[in-house]
Amino acid sequence: MKLTAEMKEALRIGSKSDVYVYLTTCSLSGKCNTVIQTFTDVYKDEYIFLPDQFAQKTKINLNENRVAVVTVAHPSEGRMWAFRGSCNIIQWGHPPNYSFQGVKAGEALEGWGEWTAREPFETIDPDLRAPAAGQRGVIVLKVEEIYSTKPEEAGQKAG
Amino acid sequence: MITLTPRMKNWLEKMGAHIGTADKKGFPTVIVVETAKVEGGGTVLFKLTAAQLAQVRANIEENPFVALGPGGLACIRAPYQYKGPAKIKESVLEVQVTEIYCTKPGPEAAARLDILPKEDMIKFDDTRWRDVGPPQ
Repeated sequence: MKLTAEMKEALRIGSKSDVYVYLTTCSLSGKCNTVIQTFTDVYKDEYIFLPDQFAQKTKINLNENRVAVVTVAHPSEGRMWAFRGSCNIIQWGHPPNYSFQGVKAGEALEGWGEWTAREPFETIDPDLRAPAAGQRGVIVLKVEEIYSTKPEEAGQKAG
Repeated sequence: MITLTPRMKNWLEKMGAHIGTADKKGFPTVIVVETAKVEGGGTVLFKLTAAQLAQVRANIEENPFVALGPGGLACIRAPYQYKGPAKIKESVLEVQVTEIYCTKPGPEAAARLDILPKEDMIKFDDTRWRDVGPPQ
């Protein structure tokens, strides 16, 4: 599902209205995990990329249950969206031809595998900046559904 | 029984949370509620709209376990994750917090705080932040 121009503007690297998002994953037994993500980008209008920065529970959940939700945490005014879809981690060591939902590992890792080469580490708010930039791979979410998170319109199709 | 620190309470109440729910097979649905009320130290109450109730009621009934990520600026200034069972009473989602994790990226990410003695959890919070809650 293609993102609108407004959504891409919020999620893209280098955007003036760059946002922090939550990534919610879930174990197969139904235990959710909701963690903040400091970097986002949009690939081919319908994928959200995030750096895999050693979030252990996220990885465990995605190993067994490849569906996730991205919601805009801050600043969220005018950006009350939830992006849900198939999600997986493409990590260093995967063969370049490994493909997840149409995304080739080689392309994802070459372009986003060292995220701070594209987006300075210093752009992260100091309160959310790790002591050093470490990255194991790229989290890929193929957007299959977009719904509103506005309280009065929660769940309505957006985008 | 868990007691949130005063600072955790202040940020959650003012900024609300992103609430991760799922059906019993693990299909997730997230809603965003913009304010909350903390009662009894570790129970977080969220007033839901009719649309939010319709979106998560079935999930909560078949799988009450939820995860909370603090909303708005609290995602940066109060990076904790709260988890626990929830129930719906009329239009209020009542979450009993049974787990608290630090979500600040780095060596403390995923550190579980609720297993610390109460005074140590307060100390963890106090030594990392200077504020006592969101700006007025």
